[in-house]
Amino acid sequence: MIARAAVTALGAGAALTAPWWVANPYHLHVLIMAAIFTILALSLNLLLGYTGQLSLGHAAFFGIGAYTSALLSLPPLEWSFWIALPAAAAAAALAGWGIGRLALKLRGAYFVLVTISFAGVISLISINWMALTNGPLGLPGVPAPTLGPWTLRTKTTYWYLVLAAAALAFVVCHRLVRSRIGRALVALRENEPLAESVGIDGTRYLVLAAVVSAAMAGVGGSLYAHYTRFVSPEVFLFSYTVTMVIMVIAGGQGTLAGPVVGALLFTVLPEVLREAVAWQWQMLAYGIVLVVCVFFLPRGIVPSIVAATRRAARTAGGPPEMRSGSVGPLKMRRGPAPE
Amino acid sequence: MLKRVMSTALVALVMLTLAPAGDAQAPIKIGVIQPLSGPVAASGNYVRMGAEIARDWINARGGVNGRKIELVIEDNKSDPKEAASAAEKLIVRDKVPAIMGAWGSSMTLAAMPKLEEYGVPMVVETSSAASVTKRGNPWVFRISPPSEMEALGLEQYVDRLGVKKADFLAVNTDWGRGSIQAFGDMLKKKGVQVGAAEFMEQSATDMNAQITKIKATGGDTLFLTTAVEQITLVLKQGQEQRLTRKIVTTGGSSSPTQLIKQAGAAAEGSYHIVFFMPWFPEAMPDGKLAKAFVDEWNKRGNPFEGLTEGFRGHDGISTIVEAIKLAGKDEPKAIQDALWKVSFTGVNGPIKFEKDGPAGKESGQSKPSIFVVQVRDGKVALPDFMKK
Amino acid sequence: MEQLLQHLVNGLVLGGTYALLGIGLTLIFGLMSVVNFAHGEFYTLGAYAAFATLALAGLPFFVALVAAIAAGALLGAICERTLLRPLRGHSIDTIMLVMIGVWIAMQNAELLAWGGVARAIPHPFPTAPLTLGPLNIAPLRLFVVVTAAALIALAWLGIHTTRLGTAMRATFQDRDTAALMGVPIGRIHTITFAFGSALAAAAGALLGPVFLAYPSMGDLASLKAFSVVILGGLGNLAGATLGGLLLGVAEELGAGYVSSGYRDAVGFVAIILVLLFRPAGLFARAERIG
Repeated sequence: MIARAAVTALGAGAALTAPWWVANPYHLHVLIMAAIFTILALSLNLLLGYTGQLSLGHAAFFGIGAYTSALLSLPPLEWSFWIALPAAAAAAALAGWGIGRLALKLRGAYFVLVTISFAGVISLISINWMALTNGPLGLPGVPAPTLGPWTLRTKTTYWYLVLAAAALAFVVCHRLVRSRIGRALVALRENEPLAESVGIDGTRYLVLAAVVSAAMAGVGGSLYAHYTRFVSPEVFLFSYTVTMVIMVIAGGQGTLAGPVVGALLFTVLPEVLREAVAWQWQMLAYGIVLVVCVFFLPRGIVPSIVAATRRAARTAGGPPEMRSGSVGPLKMRRGPAPE
Repeated sequence: MLKRVMSTALVALVMLTLAPAGDAQAPIKIGVIQPLSGPVAASGNYVRMGAEIARDWINARGGVNGRKIELVIEDNKSDPKEAASAAEKLIVRDKVPAIMGAWGSSMTLAAMPKLEEYGVPMVVETSSAASVTKRGNPWVFRISPPSEMEALGLEQYVDRLGVKKADFLAVNTDWGRGSIQAFGDMLKKKGVQVGAAEFMEQSATDMNAQITKIKATGGDTLFLTTAVEQITLVLKQGQEQRLTRKIVTTGGSSSPTQLIKQAGAAAEGSYHIVFFMPWFPEAMPDGKLAKAFVDEWNKRGNPFEGLTEGFRGHDGISTIVEAIKLAGKDEPKAIQDALWKVSFTGVNGPIKFEKDGPAGKESGQSKPSIFVVQVRDGKVALPDFMKK
Repeated sequence: MEQLLQHLVNGLVLGGTYALLGIGLTLIFGLMSVVNFAHGEFYTLGAYAAFATLALAGLPFFVALVAAIAAGALLGAICERTLLRPLRGHSIDTIMLVMIGVWIAMQNAELLAWGGVARAIPHPFPTAPLTLGPLNIAPLRLFVVVTAAALIALAWLGIHTTRLGTAMRATFQDRDTAALMGVPIGRIHTITFAFGSALAAAAGALLGPVFLAYPSMGDLASLKAFSVVILGGLGNLAGATLGGLLLGVAEELGAGYVSSGYRDAVGFVAIILVLLFRPAGLFARAERIG
């Protein structure tokens, strides 16, 4: 308890003062990307970790958010960032609602494939619908957000923006998970027929989780668009989804700290490899690190740390930990106990 | 005796004042951003190989301003986000005063805001999208031709090629689309009928549907814009469907040697727009330089088919080094000013930048030489209409 | 009309190759519940094995096919033994993540070993197409379809008539009972994964000469394979075959008559529609999902 509070306080302190102790703007750039990916990982975790449904099309919500925000803030509309951002979240939420409704009857592997197909269709639309998205040429020159007389163009100001957004996302997840809705989601994840038998409407909660998850990813997309100031169909690349999945699962799905740790680690890792390893070996090393990480910490980093500290603190006796097991296809899964 | 001492002292004094302060012997770093992994890894690596030849030649001649040059090479993984990160790292961590990159147009466009943010010039060696030099970024200097320039380069040969009705098949990227736009406009101006415009995904391997459609249009020429692997597949599949019409590939990435090797008889008769002719380097504007480059490339055991792209790396680095020489120091703003004064001949031909884009923040665009070659009897040759 | 026929022929030939990709994965994903993102990498492995055999060693085509199958089976068995077996109790997502790591590692290892340049794989068939009226088919493609059909038939026979096949089906239907009946569960898992991977490698060896061999060729193959598996129903060999053919034809017709840019979208939309209305796969009998 105390340890957790201390870690949180330390992390918050470090984050708030980051622009001062970070060695150079490049590292701050990496941190900003890590923060954006934290939001994305948290959003995917809502679906994956708490409902047990794997969405492999999450990049679609990210991309929809990025494009919406970019298109609204570029000429001819030139709306303010502070309107474009919620609009992006709304657009992504709409897509999430669509997916949720689509997956009315589907679970497990079929849901996965619908999400992949959906992302594939959206990606192709962004490439081919030149009139709307400018296709592969992309949308350059997305403006930086303005707050009154100031433009949030510098890294330091943008860092605080994404930090605030990430903190907000964390709080939203936290409240959701601890609420009745959260408990219902976990009940559905653990044993859907049983949950339904006590009156929990599986589909309704799945749709709700999808909407919130998508909206959050849309926010991440908007922040990305206004930071890199260039949006192209590559935002729908499957590799982004894969990265998010890696962050959530390796960090520890079904926990709140897991995605944060995962996002930090797997944003920093490629950059560390960029410096440490010659370019020929970078991606190979990345793959190997991933395999090793999963191999030794199969439940994720955060749950493993928590379990290890619990084991260390415990003297004798006490309840055994919940084992994660797989019983048949994706539908019935057990994960670590929700925090 | 006294005179001797005096003159030695004078020389020493002069040398001391001329020698740059501080780390006079530290090499000058030049950043390179290329796709070294992912679907276009081959092309990115060819450019890298060309850049390395330039570096070694320059260092063998004593470097620039008395210092050697060193290339700091980054992989953009064919992803615009990575291109921007790589640019940031090169500028902030490695403190390079100039960069060459980033191959694909979306990657270049993604890295461009970083150039303005930190004030570092970049020489663009491959990207073909018009927007690269029209965005009002005064730190961008391009030596590769945008699609419009390429189309203009072909204009004079359209009649002699005998093009009456043309169809297009292009990769579904900024490059392919831009090419269709540019060539379509040029052909229409010449009174040529434009038929179908079909696309293929960058990773697609089966183009039979598109070929079947094109067969039905009754056109006499097919303009093909994509990377060499897909060109090979289109040629082979065209052969399988008995597609009998002139084929002209654009973009300069067609590597006719590789096509002949991999498509065999299917490549026979096809025309290719290239920016470097390694099969007859003497025909290039600076024949001796071109021949020396080809020889060095072969000596290193690099694949011959990579020459049609590798020269870009050489010319890009040479341009930056020329600017550093004119500037007298390796400072980004000075290099930017010097780039406007650069005028020399690279492997492709003369390199000199003209203003392009919105007034006041123009980018630099050079006018590269454009050539057309043909595959005849399993070899690359100059088309009849180009022989003088 | 001629165009339509040619499109259909193209689609069937393409679909045959999709089917071959799908049957290996339907065993691994459908029976073992392993979300094998590295499936496409075994396909790539088969193509490069064929390249090494044909272009570098100059051996005949049949040897190349055998070499590819052997390579796929061996690497698949190693993968299962070292990575999947120790993680067997864990959640499906953990296993998926390991396979993602294998995917990244294998692809970049291929890039390192062979370089990024695509390789043409020589084959003994004439390049001039066979012409039947207005239709054209390349002899190589015909051979690929025929061989794929043979492999699929062999696989089906293997699973449904041999004792090993019965043991496999028993294991994945009810592991504990099968174990009680004396089925060596561990070995069955290894054999199944090796079998599925060998089929993917065979597909690579057959398709490599049709297209080209390059390190990222497996990405699209994986995606198509997953689509085929879902279309046909998990674990359903016949379904995967038919699903593959259907996907190929749908894509060809979509590209030919709707838009070539949206070609892959046809496949995606088809999948979404199928899953909406027939989620157990197009060819499953009335059975519950999961």
